[in-house]
Amino acid sequence: MSRTTTAAAAPPVSGTAPDPGGRRLPRTLHPVAWWIWALALATAVSRTNNPLLLFLVLAVLGYVITMRRTEAPWARGFKYYLYLALTVVAIRVAFRAVFATGITPRDHFLFSLPHIPTPDWYAGIQLGGPVSLEALLSAATDGLRLACMLCCIGAANTLANPKRALRVLPGALYELGVAVTVSISVAPQLVASVQRVHRARRLRAGRPKGPRALRGIIVPVLEDALERSLRLAAAMDSRGYGRAGTATRRSRRLTGALMLLGMCGLCAGAYGLLDATAPKLLGLPAMGAGAVLCFAGLRLGGRRITRTTYRPDPWRAAEWAVAGCGVVSAVLLFSNAGFNAAELNPSIYPLSWPTLPLVPAAAILLAGAAGFLAPPPTAPVPAPAPVPVPVQRNEEAK
Amino acid sequence: MSSRVTRAVARLTAALGLTVAALAATVAPAGAAPQAMGQCTTSSGVVLAVDFSHWGGPVYRSCGTTPTTGYELLNQGGWATTGTGHDGPAFICRIGYSGHQGGKQYPTPQQDDCVLTPPASAYWSYWHANPGQNTWEYSQLGAMLYKPKPGSVDLWIFGGTNIEGTEGKPTVTPDQLRAHNTRPAGAPAPKDTRTAAPLPPDVNTGPRPENPPPADRTPPTAAPPAQGAAPPVPSTPASPASPSAQPTESASPSPSSSVSPPASPSPSTGTGAVAAQAPGPQVVEAAPAADAEHDTGSYLPAVATGALVLLIGAAAVFAAKRRRRTE
Repeated sequence: MSRTTTAAAAPPVSGTAPDPGGRRLPRTLHPVAWWIWALALATAVSRTNNPLLLFLVLAVLGYVITMRRTEAPWARGFKYYLYLALTVVAIRVAFRAVFATGITPRDHFLFSLPHIPTPDWYAGIQLGGPVSLEALLSAATDGLRLACMLCCIGAANTLANPKRALRVLPGALYELGVAVTVSISVAPQLVASVQRVHRARRLRAGRPKGPRALRGIIVPVLEDALERSLRLAAAMDSRGYGRAGTATRRSRRLTGALMLLGMCGLCAGAYGLLDATAPKLLGLPAMGAGAVLCFAGLRLGGRRITRTTYRPDPWRAAEWAVAGCGVVSAVLLFSNAGFNAAELNPSIYPLSWPTLPLVPAAAILLAGAAGFLAPPPTAPVPAPAPVPVPVQRNEEAK
Repeated sequence: MSSRVTRAVARLTAALGLTVAALAATVAPAGAAPQAMGQCTTSSGVVLAVDFSHWGGPVYRSCGTTPTTGYELLNQGGWATTGTGHDGPAFICRIGYSGHQGGKQYPTPQQDDCVLTPPASAYWSYWHANPGQNTWEYSQLGAMLYKPKPGSVDLWIFGGTNIEGTEGKPTVTPDQLRAHNTRPAGAPAPKDTRTAAPLPPDVNTGPRPENPPPADRTPPTAAPPAQGAAPPVPSTPASPASPSAQPTESASPSPSSSVSPPASPSPSTGTGAVAAQAPGPQVVEAAPAADAEHDTGSYLPAVATGALVLLIGAAAVFAAKRRRRTE
């Protein structure tokens, strides 16, 4: 409990603090800059299947997080994303082994699972059978790509303050933004809950093991989540969320219609762009029309709401640098400039060593530059934070 | 905590190892072998045809023994395929033949990266023609699951189809591709290269062509599928080991008696080469060939990346330590 209050009570140090030793002023980076950086890196990851590049991305994520995470509860959750990533890889490998995809004499035979014959009318699925090294490796690299993208999102959740991300949304999107913020902060909240329950259990004697321990963890965590959401709802209610403001009924309906039509246009446009057999009219024109309608809806909706922000997050050179190095790395990977696109997807059938194409590797390392381009998050001198001593020692003991 | 996990993992590994050891002795992969084209007849063997005309190449056809799967047929005698990263090797994304452009597989990585399932407008579609029929049937099964009948034709064409396979049909007819001789002809079947035991690593099928079938001059024997032209001999020369090694294999010798080649085939016996005189794409016979050379590349980039990752990790650990000290 004390940790959350500390986090809430310690607002990000703005640029007015005195500079202790000729260093850069510690402050938290704009949350949107971290999100752009992480999403761009995830986009870059989606382009490649090369395990070397993927491991490089993981290393870069780890480096940036170690360098620039805060002490907030959501900033301690990266290892849970790593567990999740590992689970993804394991599930993919297990599925590829169980739902056998066959083996050729060329493959490297590893082991054989019992084959369960399926009737002819169910011939689409094969269960068990010989498993090759190639099959497992291709499943592992495929899973690793998804795992890397998950870790990118995890990095954004770890580095960016989810509560401050809400402030930058346009006025019309405020209600939507609250929903989005609540949903993207579910994972960090759960992480914080699990950590607190774990700490409480360690303080108690006679910890049960096995399924009873699971009950001892899950029930308090769920209870905690429910309590939190109720508190959040009450806080939002008291701050005037869900208030229609001065908008007339007609303008509200118009805004809703514009947004809905715009969203439909965007969906149809995305479908048209991705499906090669769709008529041409469905692609870019629908996308453009949808974007225009959405923009009009936002403008119309934003006109009725005026909100002021207390101490807005600044967007300075460091924000430009962090977001920029992420975007540049994605652009480089998609540009195909200076490297062979086949190197991004090394061959597994037949097995061969992956190569390390220089330009994509340099692009990923460039994204890692965010680790020192961003300002340090906390002051090197111990801040007079009201952290209770027992909790502090507990943290140290970990 | 971690030691418990390690112990659990060790136990699991041991159990898995035992299972593997127990099963490895019982499971034997199906054996199929590539054949010279003359060994395929109207009632035995499967003709495999692949159309490279999308890239200016001919239609290759070759022959394989049964029982087999469409996938095995496409991965023997110099043929090789690549799957997709998303679906595994079962989805045929690229096809190559070591006798065509040095074994280069099509579509090339520049045309399709074979990471996700290729679009329905440009992919290898799979067609069958049953023995004696002159119509193509869009395969309802994947290459690994479909077991071609003896005397049938398997065709792979590149392009687009609709879901039912009523559009984008092949331009060649099954009769242009199938074997028309009732008896095996030409060079004898290659020696048995199959391993009846479970596959050890580094097994290489792809026997070298011993004698490519002689140029055929005799007119095709346009006989209907003559069932039982010879007394049914259950074992072709390529499968002496099969009865003992494959007790679980469901596909037993097919009812249409597999015609066993004579002990000393006369090389003058013609094969059915009807394809050349028909209009349409050029049909070329693809003799069983060795696999295309494959370069496994160097492990140095992997080592370099490992070093780089370690370096970054060390930098992160150093930064974290310094941070903890200052706090």
